[in-house]
Amino acid sequence: MQNEDILVVMQKDLERALAKPEKNRRWAMLIDLRKCVGCHACTVGCVSENKLPPKMYYRPVHEYEQGKYPKVSRTFLPRPCMQCDKPPCVAACPVKGKEGATWKETTGLGAGVVMINYEQCIGCGACVPACPYDARTMDEGHFHGEGTPAIQKYETMASYEYGKQWPRSGKNLPVGTARKCHFCVHRLAAGQLPTCITTCIGRAGYFGDENDPQSLIAQVKKANKIQVLKPAKKTAPRVYYVATEKLEVLYGK
Amino acid sequence: MANKNSKTVTRRDFLKTSALAGCGAIVATHFDFARDLIARVEAGELTQAEAYELLKAENTLYSVCLNCNTGCGIKVKILDGVAVKIDGNPYNPFCLHPHLEMKETPANAVKVDAGLCPKGQAGHQGAYDPYRVTKVLKRVGKRGENKWQSIPFSQAIEEIVSGGKLFANVPGEEGRQVTGLKDLHALTDSKAFEEMGKDAAALRKKKPEERQTAIEEFKTKHAANLGVLIDPDHPDFGPKNNQFVYFWGRKKAGRSNFAAAFTGSFGTNNTHGHTTVCQGSLYFACKAMSEQYEGNSFKGGQKFYWQADQENSDYILFVGANLFDGNYGPTNRTMRMTQRMVDGQLKMTVLDPRFTKLASKAQRWVPVLPGTDAAFAMGMTRWILENKKFDAKFLACCKKAAATAIKELTWSNGPWLVKLDKEGKPGKFLRAQEIGLKAAEKRTDKDGKEFDFEYLVAIKDGKPLAFDPNDDKEAITGELFVDTVLKDAEGKEVKVKSSLQLMLETAKEKTIAEYATLCGADAATIEAVAKEFTSHGKKACVDVHRGPAQHTNGFYNIASFMNLNLLIGNFDWKGGMIAASTFNVDGTSSSSDKQPFNFKKIGPKGLKPFGTSIIRHDIKYEESTLFKGKESYPAKRNWWPISSDVYEEILPSIADGYPYQAKVVFSYMGAPTYSLPAGHTQIKALLDLDKLPLYIASDIVIGPTSMYADYIIPDLHYLERWEFQGSHPNMPVRIQPVRQPVIASPNEVVTVFGQEQPISYETFWLALAEKLGFKGFGTNGFGEGQDFTRPDDFYIRMVANIALDRKEPVADASQEEIDLFLKSRRHLPKNVFDAERWQKIAGTAWPKVVTVLNRGGRFDSQGATYKGDQVANKYGKQINLYQEKTAGCKDAFTGKSYYGLARYVPVADTLGNEPTKLSEGFPLHLITQRDIRHTKARTITHPYLTDLMPENGIILHTSDAKKLGVKTGDQVKVLSATNPEAVWDLGNGNTKPMIGKVQVTETIRPGVVTFTLGHGHWDSGAVDVTIDGKLVKGDKKRAGGVHANAAMWVDPHLKNTCMIDKVGGSVSFYDTKVKLVKV
Repeated sequence: MQNEDILVVMQKDLERALAKPEKNRRWAMLIDLRKCVGCHACTVGCVSENKLPPKMYYRPVHEYEQGKYPKVSRTFLPRPCMQCDKPPCVAACPVKGKEGATWKETTGLGAGVVMINYEQCIGCGACVPACPYDARTMDEGHFHGEGTPAIQKYETMASYEYGKQWPRSGKNLPVGTARKCHFCVHRLAAGQLPTCITTCIGRAGYFGDENDPQSLIAQVKKANKIQVLKPAKKTAPRVYYVATEKLEVLYGK
Repeated sequence: MANKNSKTVTRRDFLKTSALAGCGAIVATHFDFARDLIARVEAGELTQAEAYELLKAENTLYSVCLNCNTGCGIKVKILDGVAVKIDGNPYNPFCLHPHLEMKETPANAVKVDAGLCPKGQAGHQGAYDPYRVTKVLKRVGKRGENKWQSIPFSQAIEEIVSGGKLFANVPGEEGRQVTGLKDLHALTDSKAFEEMGKDAAALRKKKPEERQTAIEEFKTKHAANLGVLIDPDHPDFGPKNNQFVYFWGRKKAGRSNFAAAFTGSFGTNNTHGHTTVCQGSLYFACKAMSEQYEGNSFKGGQKFYWQADQENSDYILFVGANLFDGNYGPTNRTMRMTQRMVDGQLKMTVLDPRFTKLASKAQRWVPVLPGTDAAFAMGMTRWILENKKFDAKFLACCKKAAATAIKELTWSNGPWLVKLDKEGKPGKFLRAQEIGLKAAEKRTDKDGKEFDFEYLVAIKDGKPLAFDPNDDKEAITGELFVDTVLKDAEGKEVKVKSSLQLMLETAKEKTIAEYATLCGADAATIEAVAKEFTSHGKKACVDVHRGPAQHTNGFYNIASFMNLNLLIGNFDWKGGMIAASTFNVDGTSSSSDKQPFNFKKIGPKGLKPFGTSIIRHDIKYEESTLFKGKESYPAKRNWWPISSDVYEEILPSIADGYPYQAKVVFSYMGAPTYSLPAGHTQIKALLDLDKLPLYIASDIVIGPTSMYADYIIPDLHYLERWEFQGSHPNMPVRIQPVRQPVIASPNEVVTVFGQEQPISYETFWLALAEKLGFKGFGTNGFGEGQDFTRPDDFYIRMVANIALDRKEPVADASQEEIDLFLKSRRHLPKNVFDAERWQKIAGTAWPKVVTVLNRGGRFDSQGATYKGDQVANKYGKQINLYQEKTAGCKDAFTGKSYYGLARYVPVADTLGNEPTKLSEGFPLHLITQRDIRHTKARTITHPYLTDLMPENGIILHTSDAKKLGVKTGDQVKVLSATNPEAVWDLGNGNTKPMIGKVQVTETIRPGVVTFTLGHGHWDSGAVDVTIDGKLVKGDKKRAGGVHANAAMWVDPHLKNTCMIDKVGGSVSFYDTKVKLVKV
């Protein structure tokens, strides 16, 4: 038996990374599909953490079935934002510049994450189709409690995205803006792993500083053949996959 | 890429020009998040916790989930008194592996969020469901008409206790007189209870022909008390007190003890759980296997089962075990397996008609035909026995001492000799005195009571040898395969065979090829699986669950697989089969003398209820006064000598008035109408005012069963209350997770015993006890100065017991921890949490109580869980291969003896007929399944789950879809011989059709059709209801999908109940043949 749950190992990796000079860090995520059992814990954890409205998923889990009975296979593929090093969504955004609406962060704790500034987002939706992974969704301001006698307080209370409180009511931000996974940068700031990683019951998700050779993610990455989604799009994702299946076949090129 | 080169615009510019976003209500603020905040964190200007409120220990409380029965540990994050996020509890081994040790401080632990399934994470949505019932509801329309009035709690208590014309305002019920609990609390004297109970029990031992005289004698002796009996001509039915029937769905320790305190004082023996809807035949087959030989008979079988120690097994054969969607449970089992699967350390075979998520990770999938599981197992048994791949050393042990000598912790009865009758049918084990080998003895138990002891017999070196199986001194082994004739004291021949010999002969009833044909596999597969299973020493397991259990032949299916584990002797071994272990709650632990509150000695002193229960459990039909002789077969309904908590029996027995009439029924957290096969028959029973005059339900919403109640007593959601979750068989760590109030309840606050408290299940019992004047409740209930007036009076004492169980109690909480304890509960009202009151209740144990509550329970360390190659929390007793007690019981319909050994038995109705007629014209085999996002009746109220899975479907194989001419998305209705209309009859002219959307797949055996449980609701906010004259509109999303349980077969003889496993109690979930018709 392992001495520590990998969640504890990665927590320590994270604390070590946070103590490093930011320039030397490289946040990355790795998902081992051999360990993913399609439980959707990450999906719901993310919805709850980030107060996502109905039908908005930063991290859906796609399911695939292949073969003919009785020689069949099933694959479960969680799909967060790839935090691409060459993000097409950023290129598509009309709100450019230093105080732009979305950008690939290069400094600070969130370096490597594709950020959205809800206060600058104009809600034009141009970034949504630009993403080859469907990672972005417009927030149309709906509530889970719609159709019932009353919207409940837990839904209107603040989320902590990007380290700021976003109480949800009426047209409050981020209603009307584009939203997507941000590696739970608000949790990283607080020294916690992204919620999709900690909720995972199969321990299929890895997160950390891949520049740290001691980190679990670096070790798993090194020990396995790595795939990325839609390599032909040349987006340089920061999310890696380990899988026995060819993901190009399942998810496209 | 769109807009790549477009001009830079600002939000303000855009809003000015956009017609869609409305006028500029947005005030441009300085952008200060992310970069700035993080910079401030790094500059040390903000603490981490200030940046992120959810990370504060003072905003965190640990408790236990209940969105399925697994009950994983939860870490509830609370802001402004509202539960906003739920994660896994890192102290609890159900969520983290290995889990944090108890010595870790909560201040440190708060950093670690542990894993949790989606249902658990959505839990607070159940608490904040706008359709919660918060006041007592009394029906003002017909049962099930959904017309309600909220009434004062005290009025409800008065009416339920006193009875009367309670529904005079309902048309048709103007004159209907209802009996209250007061009149059913007929026998109150504990001495009379004891004496009448003893004499009533003695009637059972009479032969049918002697019984009438005995009844007359009983009547003469108890002439003064005959009026309290349900029927003086049948004293064995017991007193009228039994006409109060209480049943429940999901209930654990703590609440169980609380209810028992009341029902014990009331004196009813009609307290029934729901086990048989889950996997009753798994429980009762293992109970039969765990019966211990005490004196001269088998007693003390545990209602439990074993599962694999999956974190150490090399190979597991999973049978009908849906691990990654259901079972006990996805969160804990998955994290213990996935890395080992990837590393090739754990190999798996999955037997299931569906290519489950588990099967998708296994080396081998065997899509067996539903209901034929035992054929596969018996094929394996035959191969293992004939190829001598069993653990002969283990099986040779006749007794404890022999097992100990070879470092085994358990032993079987494999070498024991069983007597055969003239036809060669096995009966009881041979006793040594019967062949003049060794005389029976009088022995004295630890309480000084004398009992008869009889030696058993095995063959060693060709000669019979007497032994005591529980003796730990003399290591006696026996020959495994014995078929011989011995002579009794008078020289008469006694035919005997060893248990293993009987097993071999039973297995040889069919060839492996025949078994393969029966179960739809091939002989080579059976042999390959048997070979693999026997190639890993003790680190292989057969782990079974609902799949094989929920058939009419469930008991024998389970026994046949569990016996395979016996053949390799893997019990209590690391990587073998293990059992659950917990810390004791009621202060009666034999491993501690420090527990402060022994509930056997304090609080209400229960009466000794007696008589036949309404479901006729723990009694043989032949011993009842209804049995006159052979002409009494078939019985009207089944009798359950070796099973209990037979859920499907409760309401239909009441509807049949068999064996007697019930007067008041109370249900808690149960939804038999929704959960049971042929649930519509349960609805019909609930609608019968004559047979079921008063029905009260405890629920948090107007649920699928509580909607048929006369009164709904609002309960607390699991985030608002107490309970002790216990453990499950696959958990090697000794634990006792504590469910505790983490948020306030929305329920009306009422006064009981002078104490303010939100209405709850406990409040209801307390108020009834107060009204009925029961002793042991109320002021000084637990002794001078120790009140029993509130839930915490009961539960804080139990937490103290948990803290002080075993040799080493938990450590005292530091002052810092006590401060945190108080601060993290600052949002709870005084009627829920009162530090001073709690401390007074706990007494000197208080700092230990704080330690336990600050961690959501008590959990032993991973390090203390194994001793060398074996488990520390051992079962450590005999396990029966041959079941003498089972063989001594008869089928109440046919009068034939139950077979004492696992074997293949075909699916059949209660009269023993195979369902050929019911199947004609219905080509598809209906089964069900769980999806991890839903739990039967209770998760439809959780939008995080329903948004992700708004509806389920009718899942079938491509070839079957082709035959029907349907494709994914088409609608079909589900018909069977016993529900040709394909509808739920909800009563009062309301119906709900069983129509679902087709999902075509290659991942199911052709000919089998399935649906996931949890959708197709007609309740829980899915429909409109009227409360206090006002319409409460339902949320249509909650009615999505299909629930096809009503298509499941109704037993042709019982007529008002689904098909059943007559031996193990399970309902038949997976035997029905259906037809799908495109809509």
